[in-house]
Amino acid sequence: MTETLAAVLLGFFATGYLVLGGADIGAGMLLPFLGRDERERRRVVAAIVPFFLAHEVWLVATAGLLIGAFPGLEARLFPGLFPLIVALVAGWIVRDVGLWARTQVAHVACDVAVTAGSWTVAGAWGWILAGLLTGVTDSVAGGAGVALIAAVVVGLFAVHGLAFARLRLTGRPLERARAVTGGAGDRATFAVTAAMLAVLVVAAGARIGLSGSAADDATLRLLVPALYAVLPLLLAGQVVTWRVFRHRVAAVAPGQPGES
Amino acid sequence: MDVLELARLQFALTAGAHFLFVALTLGLATVVAVLQTRATVGRSEIHGRMTRFWGRLYVTNYAMGILTGLVMEFQLGLNWSGLTHFAGNVVGASLAMETLVAFFVESTFLGLWIFGRDKLNRWAHLAAIWIVTLTAYASAYWVLVANGFMQHPVGAAPGPDGLRLTDAAAVLTNPSTLQAFWHVLAGALVTAGFLLAGVSAWHLLRRTPEQEFFGRSLRIGVFVAAPALFLSAATGGRQLQLIEEIQPHKWEAFSGGAGLARVGALLMLTAFAAMFFFSFLNVALALSRRVIVTARLWHVALIAAIPLPYIAMISGWVFREVGRQPWVVDGLLTTRDALSDVSPAAIRFSFVTFVGVFAVLIAVNGWLLARQARRGPDPVAAPLEVLV
Repeated sequence: MTETLAAVLLGFFATGYLVLGGADIGAGMLLPFLGRDERERRRVVAAIVPFFLAHEVWLVATAGLLIGAFPGLEARLFPGLFPLIVALVAGWIVRDVGLWARTQVAHVACDVAVTAGSWTVAGAWGWILAGLLTGVTDSVAGGAGVALIAAVVVGLFAVHGLAFARLRLTGRPLERARAVTGGAGDRATFAVTAAMLAVLVVAAGARIGLSGSAADDATLRLLVPALYAVLPLLLAGQVVTWRVFRHRVAAVAPGQPGES
Repeated sequence: MDVLELARLQFALTAGAHFLFVALTLGLATVVAVLQTRATVGRSEIHGRMTRFWGRLYVTNYAMGILTGLVMEFQLGLNWSGLTHFAGNVVGASLAMETLVAFFVESTFLGLWIFGRDKLNRWAHLAAIWIVTLTAYASAYWVLVANGFMQHPVGAAPGPDGLRLTDAAAVLTNPSTLQAFWHVLAGALVTAGFLLAGVSAWHLLRRTPEQEFFGRSLRIGVFVAAPALFLSAATGGRQLQLIEEIQPHKWEAFSGGAGLARVGALLMLTAFAAMFFFSFLNVALALSRRVIVTARLWHVALIAAIPLPYIAMISGWVFREVGRQPWVVDGLLTTRDALSDVSPAAIRFSFVTFVGVFAVLIAVNGWLLARQARRGPDPVAAPLEVLV
């Protein structure tokens, strides 16, 4: 019973990460497409930064749950996927450094770091998920089928990023995002791309056998109730974040304090 | 270099860098939270500006703490799966608690604090920094639950499939955990205090226009560091007694020979002694408002002292962790047995990748910190935040 509850929690955080984290990663991938000059790119970055901390913690939580509640699965996945996980974390760091530095200095190297880092992260996820979907959990999968699925996943990240940009931006960057993603409403488009990513995680998760990989019952009986008890607090923080930053990022007139 | 050495060196570099970033953020978060409380409750303008200036240094440093922490978390799974396999029921569980109960909340509210200054009302914004500070303490506690267990494994018994948790209360109140927690907290406040005093002294030495601002900041730094040094001495002394009781091999490494653990311990004690005696002078000089802004030689000494807490922290950490060798879980699992069953090429690949990324990271961080510290307090809001 506790094992099932732990598995539900693991699935919940993994899904949360791909839906939320995927949104700002996708927007980062398309930074040069959405923002064609320095001022437009500033606005795209400004659309991402209030969210990226709150979004990436879902992956930290997923990894923590894996280590704490399913050490057996972790011992199988991590060494098998070693180079992909190294690439994922390296891309993640490059992207975040780019975002942090961009909040202080407007340098083209920051934009390159954000874009290249986001593509690396999306590519690593594409490959990992493609492997899991084809049933390979203990090594890096290969072959044309895996490459095709990985490309589709990377594309999905990008489209989801555009849907996120449609919720956050105004003006020309918004028009560019709308032109690619079709005529449905902004919120409806985001809901559709989010659902597609969620289905992808659930499908990949269903292929991973969890049985026999959980932590000892004495540990789970303490860990799982504690995590469910704090869950409302975690979600409250996320809801507050989305409420506080619900407004679109507008252009700032030259000479305003926002311009530097 | 063999694979074990390479994996250990990689973890030492990652964890050591992470520990130094955390040392400053933990202390600086506390200072910033108190400053913002004074700014909010007393509607004090200068405290508001101090909150923004020191808060920006805090945030830059915090970002590096997050990123090095991420690599540590993933590295445990990648290179040291023997540890999670053997002791996952205790070590893995406490790390899971750290990520979910502490870090998740900390990071979410940090985002709100940084980017929500103009969106939240001032009380909600104040609450955000306190939530960030308190969850940072919680985070340090849970990490030290895992680390304390590795030093002094209590509350668990060997089972067919590694260790089983038998007494959760013993794990959570492990003396090796609790004493290290207070010691790290004290060290963090010392680090923040010396940074505040040193950066302020630089501005006063250069006679930048913000005399009032940096005079007050210097005084805060001195009066935070002095009592924190006493606390760190008290908690450090008690830890030495504890080590003699529970880790006789570490005590031997400390009291004789020329191993790295002993070198670390002696360097820590030297750096501590230097700070301790310097602090008496600091307190005496900081009592005079005039001396604070005019004593140029003292300013130079304060700037030169900024690295001292870092030296003490990192060498104390070397003593604690190297003194545990050859065990990863003291007396139960050797470091060699904890190494993952992956190819030497894979370990080399991750070593080169992360050391390369980290070198860039630390360079960027150092440059940004120095740039912010030099530029001084900003009369207007930070550039990007207005857009958000």
